[in-house]
Amino acid sequence: MENSTTNLSRRSFLKSSALAGGGLMISFTWLSSFKAVAEKLNNPGLPDQWFELSGYIKITPDNIIKIYNPNPEFGQNVMTSLPMIVAEELGADWQQVVVEMGPHDSVKLGPQFTGGSNSVRMYWKPLRDAGAAARNMLMQAAAQTWAVPVEEITTKAGKLYHEKTGKSGTYGDFASKASGIPVPKGVKLKDIKGFDVIRHSKKNVEGLKIVRGKPLFGLDYKVDGMLIAMIEHPPAFGMKLKSFDASQTLKMPGIKDVFRLKMYEDDFEFGGFDTRTFNDLLVVVGTNTWEVMNARKKLITEWEPVGDRKEKVNSFGRKKEVTIPGELESSDVQYQKMRTRAKQPATVLRKDGDPEAAFKNAAQVIERTYNAPFLAHNCMEPMNFFAHVTDEKALFAGPLQAPGWVEPTLSKIFNLSPEKIEIQMTRMGGGFGRRAYGHYLVEAGLISRQAKAPVKLIYSREDDMTYGIYRPMYTATYRAALDANKNLIAFHVKGGGIPEHPVHENRFPAGAVDNYLAESWELPSNITIGAFRAPRSNFNAAAEQSFLDELAEAMGKDPIDFRLELLQRAKERPVGKNNDYDADRYAGVLELVRDKSGWNKPENRKYNRGVAAYFCHNSYAAHVVDMVTKNGEPYVERVFSAIDCGVVVNPDAATNMVQGAVVDGIGNAFYGGLTHKDGRSEQSNFSEYRIIRIHEAPKSIDVHFIENDIDPTGLGEPPFPPVFGAVANALYRNTGKRYYNQPYKNDIINRKNNIDKKAF
Amino acid sequence: MITLNINQKNYEVDIDPDMPLLWVLRDVIGLVGTKYGCGVAQCGACVVHLNGEAVRSCVTKVKRADGQKVVTIEGLGLTNDHPLQKAWLEADVPQCGYCQSGQLMSAAVLLRENPNPTDQDIDDAMAGNICRCGTYLRIREAIHMAAEILRKGS
Amino acid sequence: MKRQSENKTFHLQRLKTIGLLVIICSAIGIFSSAFENKMDFTGIKNTGTINKDSIESVQAFMQVYKVLMSPRCMNCHPAGDVPLQGDDSHIHSMLPKRGKDGRGVYALKCANCHQPENLPGLHKPPGNPNWHLPPADMKMVFQGKSPAQLAKQIIDPAQNGNKSKAKLLEHAYDALVLAGWNMGQGRTAPPMSHEEFVKVWTTWIKKGAYAPK
Repeated sequence: MENSTTNLSRRSFLKSSALAGGGLMISFTWLSSFKAVAEKLNNPGLPDQWFELSGYIKITPDNIIKIYNPNPEFGQNVMTSLPMIVAEELGADWQQVVVEMGPHDSVKLGPQFTGGSNSVRMYWKPLRDAGAAARNMLMQAAAQTWAVPVEEITTKAGKLYHEKTGKSGTYGDFASKASGIPVPKGVKLKDIKGFDVIRHSKKNVEGLKIVRGKPLFGLDYKVDGMLIAMIEHPPAFGMKLKSFDASQTLKMPGIKDVFRLKMYEDDFEFGGFDTRTFNDLLVVVGTNTWEVMNARKKLITEWEPVGDRKEKVNSFGRKKEVTIPGELESSDVQYQKMRTRAKQPATVLRKDGDPEAAFKNAAQVIERTYNAPFLAHNCMEPMNFFAHVTDEKALFAGPLQAPGWVEPTLSKIFNLSPEKIEIQMTRMGGGFGRRAYGHYLVEAGLISRQAKAPVKLIYSREDDMTYGIYRPMYTATYRAALDANKNLIAFHVKGGGIPEHPVHENRFPAGAVDNYLAESWELPSNITIGAFRAPRSNFNAAAEQSFLDELAEAMGKDPIDFRLELLQRAKERPVGKNNDYDADRYAGVLELVRDKSGWNKPENRKYNRGVAAYFCHNSYAAHVVDMVTKNGEPYVERVFSAIDCGVVVNPDAATNMVQGAVVDGIGNAFYGGLTHKDGRSEQSNFSEYRIIRIHEAPKSIDVHFIENDIDPTGLGEPPFPPVFGAVANALYRNTGKRYYNQPYKNDIINRKNNIDKKAF
Repeated sequence: MITLNINQKNYEVDIDPDMPLLWVLRDVIGLVGTKYGCGVAQCGACVVHLNGEAVRSCVTKVKRADGQKVVTIEGLGLTNDHPLQKAWLEADVPQCGYCQSGQLMSAAVLLRENPNPTDQDIDDAMAGNICRCGTYLRIREAIHMAAEILRKGS
Repeated sequence: MKRQSENKTFHLQRLKTIGLLVIICSAIGIFSSAFENKMDFTGIKNTGTINKDSIESVQAFMQVYKVLMSPRCMNCHPAGDVPLQGDDSHIHSMLPKRGKDGRGVYALKCANCHQPENLPGLHKPPGNPNWHLPPADMKMVFQGKSPAQLAKQIIDPAQNGNKSKAKLLEHAYDALVLAGWNMGQGRTAPPMSHEEFVKVWTTWIKKGAYAPK
């Protein structure tokens, strides 16, 4: 087991070094070396001579190694972690490495997609191969130069050696020659045990730029003559523009143009990620942001209902026609509709044994229903994109998770072949799934084409929140059948959503119960939805893990023991097929968190403790949250986390991400929720949509990774879902009541006031 | 004509005096380290120092800063190497990084007024700065670290 | 001691007023009544008998109370050290602390967000050049106070920032009090106009500043 560093260990490092040296010594070696490399790069005397060994690697004669990060960075640390994988196999000295965001080029740089906790998983092998191949090319170049067999060449920290002759040289010395050698395939990779870059924490390569406020983000992108555009969108889902009068707007200072445009033609076949909230847009274009924001207020607009409409969808080859209702939806009506629909028959997703008979013969049936509202992503950097589209070519630049998914759409809409479309990926101020939907590139492109100018499209915070692609609204009813000896004999989940259901039918506890039934249903809606950090899981882990907690209590069992018993069963005598989790690894994180949190230690009884575990994105996460009452309110003071995501590439950054996921989870569990009234979002800024703040964040989050040599699996999402369940279970111990409706802070208030309704 | 002293440099800008300082900095002067997050003083991404105070530039009309001293993240510390910036790197605080310049600017006022802050002091000072990635624990840690750097004078 | 120094100031003011009155002659009734009222600064009378003034005064205060307990006034007179916010008087979202002088602490000082003037648009912080809470040594809490408690508190110089009745009368026109009727878009105004408020406020004080039972 490896204990990743936490805040405590770093702080104690500070103290101990202060003691030892008689003064404070903080090691800024990384920072100074970073500066040294930067100075070299900025030295005008230095020839700008980069030898390209592959799409990922360039080397200068004085041995500066540039590694291209292929995947968009939205805070998950890929700008650092992915180049670390290359550097490992390349045998580079990390101090000599500079990192640059790669261009959008799927031939050279692979799938280039940030989402589904995929970055490290999907690039693990290709980047190791790329590093190993380049190292081999450098070795061949040295072997040829020194006239020795390539097998006798060794490398260390960016240098090549031939022991017998005592010859040595830097990678830079041989970069020119190596760049002419064909890229070899199938070069043997390092033994994982011998890693000296991977598994060794490296600082964020863009840290210095971030703390100095250097332009990094899409919103910071600027070219000469660039105009600013904003979209006046309908005030409610189900509405469209009827007419407008821009005469006052056009009189405002700095305003260049106001026009209406249609995003997609009626017969457009939508790709799976072509989701857009509104098709009919009113655009204001001007010279600077504030002037455009102001001028927007002068627009006189009339909106009308869209009515029901049909759309052709082609989601990765799956073609269908969907009808989108035109209703102006309200959350309370939606909630009632869900309640009605939940009682009706649903689609059976999986059935093991004879659940009907088991429930009929049960000594006790426990049934609970869980609800959760739409969630807005609320990335700190609002949606924005730069576009400059002409008849000949198009340049796009900004924050985007999936350039490869929007490119075909851009190609169709602007009638340009993909090679004439350049998409530059800037650092993203958060993503959480929201930026997998590239509709704002289409919007920016259309605006640029119409305005005949380079344009930056900017969403205001209000636009961003009310003009979103949200986490769906979910509900699920769980039922468990117990026999007379309080054994679990059947398990039933029936989940539904607006407009998508949440059920993962093959997830735990499927496989651990003889009689099992999973069902789903969906209600259509015109409120646009999409991926949100751990889609579906972020609800399931709240509902299922709360239910298991309640079940354990009813059975008189410790909640961890109960889960471990089920996992033992799933391992020894798995029920059914297609169980998608590994019971051993699942149990592993529960055992680790039990150990690290001192689950059974009497001194921890002063805390109201809640536990939950979940599997998603091929990784396993378990949390114990320790709740107390602070200023009369439940507060999560400490958290212990255990994660199994295979090899951890950059441990300290991985720890940061888990800590962040825990904070995000607590925040969304307590406060997250977007509601509608007659199609209009009832929250439009952070004054109404509460985001967790520093005083609400735990004092400590101790993160522990299972150490194994399994190829890396997901990390950005897996720690997030089980936080919801752990918080709910701790709340029960803190308040004596079970909460079934998110966000929990609202549910607590409703229960206190004896209001029998959903929380949102 | 508005006169601004930004990061010890003087600027004269011919601009609507009602334009928020944020947009003057970003769109007119070209200092983009100060971020737009909410526009209503809720998130703190736009914090700059106006005569040393951590004002939210998204709601501060530029006329309030006329003839006054403004410091942005680009001017934090004499050589942009403020102990907080060092500590932020050492604690490897940022995830996406978007909110961090505002966090740093708020933290700088805290440290100036309270060189030895407790966790409670940090929460009292920093609760106006939202970090959507949830780096709050590291922000606390980095502020303690920076305080220690300041105390030891290193 | 505080009261004595207040006395001195008051006497100086009174002498000035007398001088002024001599010059412009005493025919103006309103001035003379104000003058009389200024004479009585000692706080709540405790005569033990119910008189007409006390009934009118208390009735007026019950109107005053409605205004003072409205979010526009109470939100900045919280029971704790964090102001309240919004028409539902929830705890101010980023927990800005009162601080010694009532102007916030560190990076969360009132004026960091609250501008000298209101800003157009929803959700924008209301503005005033002097935006602050009562200071830590004179918290002037409204939240949670009964009418009797609040009336007694307001009239007590030890709890009201050392204000005489005259000062209290003037306070109705204080810029921050006036700001309660000009809080920017999306905020419900107090339950009566400022003019009406001044009327009941003045009546309450002039009729003896009686506290409800």
